[in-house]
Amino acid sequence: MKEYSTPAEAVDAETTVTLTVNGETRQLAIPPNVVLLDALRDRLGLTGTKKGCDHGQCGACTVHVDGQAVNSCLKLAVMCEGHEVTTVEGLASDAGLHPVQQAFLEQDAYQCGFCTPGQMMSATALLEDERIGTDDAAVREAMSGNICRCGAYKNILAAIQSARGQSPSAQQESENP
Amino acid sequence: MDTQIIGHRTPRVDGEFKLTGRADYAVDWQAQNMLYGYPVPASIAHGALEKLHLDAARAMPGVVDVFHHGHFPRLYRSPNSPTHQDQVSEVRLPFEDERIHYDGQYIALVVAESFEQARAAAHAVQADYRQESGVIATLLDTDQEGRLLESEGTSRGDPEKAFDEAPVKIDHTYHIAAESHMQMEVHATLAEWRDERLIVHESSQGVVYQHKAMARIFGLPDESVEVVSHYIGSGFGNKLFMWPHAVATAGAAQMLGRPVKTILPRQQDMENGGNRPASRQRLRLAADRDGTLLSMLHDSTTETSFVHSYVDSLGSATPSLYACDNVAISQRLLEVHHGTPCPMRGPGETSGIYALETALDELAAELEMDPLELRRRNYADQDPASELPWSSKHLDDCYTGAAKRFGWERRDPTPGAMRDGDEIIGWGMATASWPGLRMPCAARVELRDDGSVLAACGTQDIGTGTYTIVAQTVAELSGVALKDIEVRLGESTLPAGPLSGGSMVTATALPAVAAALRNAFDALKEVATGEGGAFEGIDPESLEIEGGALKDGQGKRVSFGEILSEQKLGSVNGEGQAASGDEKGQYSFRSFGAHFVEVRWDPGISRLRVARVVSSIDIGRAINPSAARNQVEGSIVMGIGMALTEKLDYDPRDARLINNNYADYIVPCHADMPEIDVELPDNPDYAFNEFGARGVGEIGLTGIAAAIGNAVYHATGKRIRDLPITLEKVMDT
Repeated sequence: MKEYSTPAEAVDAETTVTLTVNGETRQLAIPPNVVLLDALRDRLGLTGTKKGCDHGQCGACTVHVDGQAVNSCLKLAVMCEGHEVTTVEGLASDAGLHPVQQAFLEQDAYQCGFCTPGQMMSATALLEDERIGTDDAAVREAMSGNICRCGAYKNILAAIQSARGQSPSAQQESENP
Repeated sequence: MDTQIIGHRTPRVDGEFKLTGRADYAVDWQAQNMLYGYPVPASIAHGALEKLHLDAARAMPGVVDVFHHGHFPRLYRSPNSPTHQDQVSEVRLPFEDERIHYDGQYIALVVAESFEQARAAAHAVQADYRQESGVIATLLDTDQEGRLLESEGTSRGDPEKAFDEAPVKIDHTYHIAAESHMQMEVHATLAEWRDERLIVHESSQGVVYQHKAMARIFGLPDESVEVVSHYIGSGFGNKLFMWPHAVATAGAAQMLGRPVKTILPRQQDMENGGNRPASRQRLRLAADRDGTLLSMLHDSTTETSFVHSYVDSLGSATPSLYACDNVAISQRLLEVHHGTPCPMRGPGETSGIYALETALDELAAELEMDPLELRRRNYADQDPASELPWSSKHLDDCYTGAAKRFGWERRDPTPGAMRDGDEIIGWGMATASWPGLRMPCAARVELRDDGSVLAACGTQDIGTGTYTIVAQTVAELSGVALKDIEVRLGESTLPAGPLSGGSMVTATALPAVAAALRNAFDALKEVATGEGGAFEGIDPESLEIEGGALKDGQGKRVSFGEILSEQKLGSVNGEGQAASGDEKGQYSFRSFGAHFVEVRWDPGISRLRVARVVSSIDIGRAINPSAARNQVEGSIVMGIGMALTEKLDYDPRDARLINNNYADYIVPCHADMPEIDVELPDNPDYAFNEFGARGVGEIGLTGIAAAIGNAVYHATGKRIRDLPITLEKVMDT
C-alpha cells in the first residue's frame, strides 16, 4: 500500500472560502481538501446535488459555476472563492418550477430521481449554449456525461426538447423580436 | 373495471420533491452529533489478515475510532430466513474473523468527525496479509462444474431420449459475465441509537426485512428497531437484503454512543454491494422437421461467494415458456473469490431466457425457419409446467403487434443480406417473460377532517412509481383529488409491506391499500350514521362513496371532512390486509411479451450499435401507463448494456476487480439510445387481483439481450455465445 505523505495538520488547517450559492453569499471555514460537492451537501445542507461516483464519471453532481455545467466532485470548494454556484435548489423560483423541471415532470423524465438534479443542471446549461445543436443527436451527445441507470433517456430527451421552446433564453427571444 | 384515474397517465405525485432536490434519500440524512464512517477494503481476494497497522490512522485529526476484528461488538448472525423476513445479503458478520474471502471485503471501519477526515484516515490504514493460492476469479476462468443443487432441478417426460432420437437438434453452451447493478445511489447507512432503540436510514428495497435482520443481529426486540427508506437512488435488487456495511455502521454507532453515517465509495459498492453472478448454460433443443419442439434440456451453473450461497435460478422460466413434452432443467453452484452475488433485475430468468431465446434462434436457423414462426409453432396455450390454464395470456397479440410495427415481414433471412450504405442491418427477436408474483400485505388509510387522505404501507418506491399508484388507487376509489392524498412508504413502523422486488409491489400493495380504504369508509359511515351524524339513523350499507363524499339514496351528499368536523373528529382509520387466495391453485400467472431489435454493424469502422427496438409487453393493466412504459424502456436500455458492454472484470490471477468504476464498467449513456417503441396492450388480469395488474419492473429486461445477439448474428453471420458481445468478439470470431 502507498505511504500517505500529506502531513496531518496540513490536511486539517481550515481556510475561509466565500462563494455565492443560489444567489446567496455563503462563507465557509473548511480544510483545503473539501470537495465542492461535499461542501454543498455536508456543510451547506444542499443535498439536492448527488454523489454518484465521486470521480467525474457519472454526472449526478453537476452544478453550474458561473453558468457553466461542471462536475462538483472534481472541484475543490476553495477553487470557487468568489464564484457563483447554482444547484438544483436554485432552479425553481417563486413563480414555480423552472421550465426544465416542469418538462421533466410532464415527460416522466426520471425514475428513481437520483441522477435527475444532474440531468437538469446539464440540460439547463445546454439549452443556453449556442454551440450545441438543437437536433436530438446533438442533445444526446451533449447529455452523455450524465448517466441514468434507470434508463429514462428517451423521456429526458423529450423533456429537454419540450423545454426548449420555453427555456429562459427562448422566452427572451420571443419577447424581444 | 371502468376507471377514471387507474390506467391513465399520471405525473408522479413525488415528482416535485425529486425535481427540486427535496426528496430525502438515505445519503441526504444527517443526525445531530453525527460521525462519518469510511470502510477499509481488503486488497487480496483469498487468504487471511495478519496485521492491521492503525497507529497512523488513529493519530490523524478527527479520527474517533477504527473498528476491526477484535474491536467490534459481539453480535449474532441473522437466521437469514425468507419466511421470517430476516434475510440478509451476507450471513457472515463484518469483522467476524480474519479470513479474507474476496477483494474489497471490509477489514476495518474508520470513524471520524468529518467525511474528509474519515476518508484520509481510511487511506492511511495498512494491512499485512497471508495470501493463499488456488484463487478462482469467476466461473468463466475455470472448468470446475460446481455442486448440483437437487432442489433446483425439474423434469417432465424423457428429454434425454427424445433429444437423442430427434431429427433436428442443437447443443450449445452460453456464458454471461458477472454484471454490476450500478444503481446511481451507492449503499448508505445512517445508524443512530436513541434510548436503546436503533434507528437506521438505509437506501433499501426492503425496510421490513432490514428491520427484522437488525433486530436479530443486535439481539433486540422487533419494536426496538426502525428502518427508514423514503427515497432510494434505485437498487435493481442489490438493496433487497442488508449488507455488512450496515451492521458495521450500527455496531460502531452503538460503541461510540453517537450516530454514524457510512456512504460506500463507488469502488467498494461495486466490490461488496452485490452483482449478477456470471453463468454458464448448456442448452440442448431438439425438434421435428416442422419445428415442433421435442426436447429441451437446460443445464445451468452460476457462481456465489465463499461466505454466502446465492442461487440465481436460471432455468425457472424454461418449463413454462413453450409447449414441449420433454423438458429438464438443472442448476449447479460454484464458489468463487469475488464479492457475493445477489438478485439483479429479473434474477435468474433474465440470464436463463437469454440462453433459451438464443438457442431457439439457432434452432430456427438449423430448421431454416423464421424465428418468430418457430415460437408460434410451439405456443403454450396453458402452463406446460403446472398444467394450469393461464390467468391471462396474449403473447400471440404481442408477437403480431410488435412484428407489424417493426416490419418483420420484410426480413431477408440470409445473414448479412440487408444493407444500408456502409452498414449491415441485423434483425432479431426474442420472447420476454416474468412470473406474476404477489405476497401478503398490510396497509393503513386515514380519512382526515380537512378532506385529505393518508395511505401508508411499509413497502418502498424505488423509482418505479409506487407513491403514485397508491395515490391513484385511493383517488380512484374515494374520488378525492390526487393533490389531497398523502402517501407514506419506506418506514418499517408502517403496516408491513413487500420487498420492492420481483415486480410484485403493484399486485401486492394496491389490494391492501384498497382493503384499508374500504375499512376507513366503514368507520366513516359509522360516524355519519351515528347520533348527531350527517346521516343519523340511515342504514350505513345504503351510503355510497362519490367524489370524496358520502351520498344517500335521496341525493344528499356530505364530504368526508364535514362528516368528521361536525362530530369534532380529526380522522377515522382503516387497517387492511390482502393476500392471494384459491386462484393460485386454479391459474398460472405469468407475463409475456416480445422484443424486436435492429442492430447496425459497420465493418469498415467496426461499429456495432442497437438502432431500433420495438416491443409489446403484456403486463395486464398498467396502473400508471407513463411510469410503466418508462420501466420497460429503462429495461431495454439496461439490456443493451447486458448485451454489448457490461462485464465485471476480475483479474484471473488474483480475483481483484479491475473495472470498479463508471469509466471502466460501461453502462449505456444518452448517445447509445436507439429508437424505442414500446406498446403495453391493456389486458387486465382480474383473476390475479382486483386491479388487473401483474407488475412491470423486470419483464422488459428478459429477452432483450437475446434479441440483440440474434440481430448481431443476422447482421454478421457470427454467433457469439458469450455476453457481452464486445467488438473484439465480432471482429475475431
